[in-house]
Amino acid sequence: MSERLEAGLNVLRAEMDKKVMSFFSSCVRCGICAESCLFYTETNDPRYTPIYKTEPMRKLWKNEYSFWGKLKSTLGISEPMTEADLSDWEELVYDGCSMCGRCSMVCPVGVDISMVIFKVKHALAVAGFSPEGLVGATKRAVEIGSPMGITMKAVLATIKHAEENTGLKIPLDVEGADYLALLSSNEIALYPEYLEALAKIFDHAGVSWTLSSAAYEATNSGLQIGNKAIAGQLVQRVVDGAEKLKVKNVISPECGHAYTALRWEGPNFVGKAYSFRVVHILELLDELQAQGKLKTTGMETDRLTFHDPCSIVRRGGIQAQPRNLLGPITNNFVEMTDHGSMNWCCGGGGGVSSNERAEGLKHTAFNRKKSQIEEIKVDAVVTACSNCRMVMEEGLEHNEIDIPLLGLTELIAEHLADKPH
Amino acid sequence: MIEYLIKGPLWYFSLAVFCIGVLWQLARIIFAAGKTDLSVARGSASGGAWRNVFSRFVPHPEIAPRIRLQVIAGYMFHLGLFALLFFAAPHVHFLEKHLLGFGWTPMPYWAFIVAAQFAFFGLILLWLRRMLNSVSRLISTTDDHIAAILTFVVMLTGCLALGQGFPALNLLHLFTVELLMIYFPFSSLMHAFTFIPSRAFTGAWFGRRGIDA
Amino acid sequence: MPVVLMIALLVLPVANASAPQQQKDYPQGVSSISPGSDLWREVRQRDLPISGITQVQGVESGVLINAEGDRWARFRIENPVRYAPFVLLVVVAILVLFYALRGKVGIEGGLSGRMVKRFTDYERVVHWTLALVFLYLALTGLILLLGRTLLIPLFGHQVFSLLASASKESHNLIGPIFLVSLIMMVFSFARRNIYEKGDLTWLLKGGGFIGKSHVSGGFFNMGEKSWYWMVILIGLAISISGLILVSPNFGQGRVIMAISHVVHVFGAIILIAVSLGHMYMGSIGTEGSIEAMKSGYVDINWVEAHHDRWARQVKENDEVLSAEEFARQHGRKPESTDNAAGQS
Repeated sequence: MSERLEAGLNVLRAEMDKKVMSFFSSCVRCGICAESCLFYTETNDPRYTPIYKTEPMRKLWKNEYSFWGKLKSTLGISEPMTEADLSDWEELVYDGCSMCGRCSMVCPVGVDISMVIFKVKHALAVAGFSPEGLVGATKRAVEIGSPMGITMKAVLATIKHAEENTGLKIPLDVEGADYLALLSSNEIALYPEYLEALAKIFDHAGVSWTLSSAAYEATNSGLQIGNKAIAGQLVQRVVDGAEKLKVKNVISPECGHAYTALRWEGPNFVGKAYSFRVVHILELLDELQAQGKLKTTGMETDRLTFHDPCSIVRRGGIQAQPRNLLGPITNNFVEMTDHGSMNWCCGGGGGVSSNERAEGLKHTAFNRKKSQIEEIKVDAVVTACSNCRMVMEEGLEHNEIDIPLLGLTELIAEHLADKPH
Repeated sequence: MIEYLIKGPLWYFSLAVFCIGVLWQLARIIFAAGKTDLSVARGSASGGAWRNVFSRFVPHPEIAPRIRLQVIAGYMFHLGLFALLFFAAPHVHFLEKHLLGFGWTPMPYWAFIVAAQFAFFGLILLWLRRMLNSVSRLISTTDDHIAAILTFVVMLTGCLALGQGFPALNLLHLFTVELLMIYFPFSSLMHAFTFIPSRAFTGAWFGRRGIDA
Repeated sequence: MPVVLMIALLVLPVANASAPQQQKDYPQGVSSISPGSDLWREVRQRDLPISGITQVQGVESGVLINAEGDRWARFRIENPVRYAPFVLLVVVAILVLFYALRGKVGIEGGLSGRMVKRFTDYERVVHWTLALVFLYLALTGLILLLGRTLLIPLFGHQVFSLLASASKESHNLIGPIFLVSLIMMVFSFARRNIYEKGDLTWLLKGGGFIGKSHVSGGFFNMGEKSWYWMVILIGLAISISGLILVSPNFGQGRVIMAISHVVHVFGAIILIAVSLGHMYMGSIGTEGSIEAMKSGYVDINWVEAHHDRWARQVKENDEVLSAEEFARQHGRKPESTDNAAGQS
């Protein structure tokens, strides 16, 4: 048995728990999960069936945990797993799955398929069967501090531009601030207006906040590649930065998987509960609006819709907040037919957008989002995840559709009324 | 001799394998390792667990049009089988005499037949779909086919014995039932029990995160 | 006892009408002219069906002897029971002969590997459900039909009675499932089976199976359409007569039951016979056909050969999958038996 195979199988064994055992005992191969997955519906390729992506773990369960598997090994007639059982699944799990979790919503016997796929990803990552693009991104994240190679120097430049554009001071390394704001590399590189929006909104609402030079990156390449150790390492940086500045809250930015990594999986990766609260920017804005600290004015009259980022809404629980925030500033809002926690993925999550090899498949999968947008004939799409935004912009351009993508936080900032206090 | 074996030792053996097997498999799941979630919960895990156990009986409207055949045939089969298993007169009588010591009012004969027809029709539709659809052909295992065929054979032998005039046919039905009981705990048929913890675990996960599942 | 009373009731008027005066003072037996033949003529109801009045309330409970019953029983033994095996064997023989002489109907240029979707998952599931249910009903039905003449001599009474009971119970339970599947078939396929221009030409040219002339066809050719309507119409007749037979508690008299039985058995034998032809044509008889009901896809060359009007539509709408694309969607290696260099 090769080292890589052994390493991968050991991860699968460590990942086996009561949930996975109940899942594999209950799955009856009904195929309903396939109908929920955009990689299957847009390609008709049965290999992208969500539960099929968990095959490596199912084979291990069958061989080592099921009655027939254990009987066969006692009798010496078992079918041991081979490297191909892992390597053949690399494309399915990394290119053909965005970890959107739509499958976990529809399984009649309640299998959280997305969770099991992540465990398989973990095994593949440790065994070294991951796409080049993600391996590179992870390396950069660990060594430089950002998967896109953005250093503090670039961050400082962004801060400077934001201060110039807004006329506001952007706090950096302020100890004792209430909120530590994190950024995602995508925002720094492509949507620096996000930082300007934060500055304007926090000034308006009187929020005490800061950035941190030790912990500016929210994106977690460890999570995207499936390596829990690296994911924990990257979360620890945020934890250290937050504890150093003694902040009460950490804000997860408009980035889907960052929220999952920090808010929900982070404490488990680092093995300890946090001493601070993690809040998504939309949660915070919603709280501020409810407290009367955030007042907006004016209306967007264009026909708008909201794309629900999977990791924030379906897997994160932040469904009402974007609608609460859009309500006061839109008078022509329409939901996509499948919206909220049953919306469709943009196709670029889970590391797919960082995986050059998956480009073609990603464009095919995007046909689902494209048909959703075309069906409701909107003028623009609002979203709250910089990755979704980038993927959808590229996808619409590829299809020669001229519909802009708007960031929700930026939209709020454009509609700020006079300061309430 | 055969009659003695089927009504005697094999019956007790299959009953023991079924009861102990099912409990053993459930215990393995419930007492297996579980990890504590260190994140701060937003909502109730137990509330989510309970809710999910029941809500998954109804498919989300967003996906329902795509899965009509599975849902309709699935319910026809399961509800028909449940009705005839527990409310058909010969079964109620059997349970009273050989297992429970008490019975209940069975459904009228015509209802028994209609329930059986739903069960047969549903199972035939489902098994054929499994064979004909490219997704289920890829993911189906031998276990899935054996379970379907064995269940069908049990139902068919039951149907053959409806005349109640031939002990040999009753015996054949009992024998196939015993085979099914022995096969049950080691197959995907366990989903009949494990779907509850499975839905509950996932429901708890969604409930903790305050997700509208 | 009631029979004696009834006979007495019938005899009395006859006795009164024709008996000579008796001058004995002890009770005597009644005398009548040929009481036996008159009595039994009445009872036998040779001329008119007679229904008397009884205290038993029920369908035809006033009919002492059903004269039709014997007629029906003889008809059954002398016709469907006697001829069914021959009819079926003859059909098998014709098919064997046809295959021996004509062989498998191939496709000009062979299979290309490029595929077109013909039937959805649902349509295939409905077809195979109907087919399996039909085969089961045919088997159990034939067991019930041929028991006395064929199976009892073969297996003996004990085994046959068990077989017959099992067959009857399952035949009756599965029967309504056939009806429901049939109705599903109506909704799925009726529109495409409506006869249209060109169908008669297909028939006159022997469907292209006799000789090698090319015939034009739409999505379904005339042969397929005719088989379809046969299945639906005869199938409905069998189902309705079957329902009448299986639930004798709606006031049907014996006459209705006998007619239902005749419809049922003749319809069944016709359907079984023609279905043998259908099964042959759909499998070994024609190259490329069975794939339609397996994966739902057919080779474009097959479409051109048998359904050229549909082929035109399919090409206009760009619905042809390449061999690689088809293989990918079905987990198979791309295959082609095409040896021609230029393909359409």
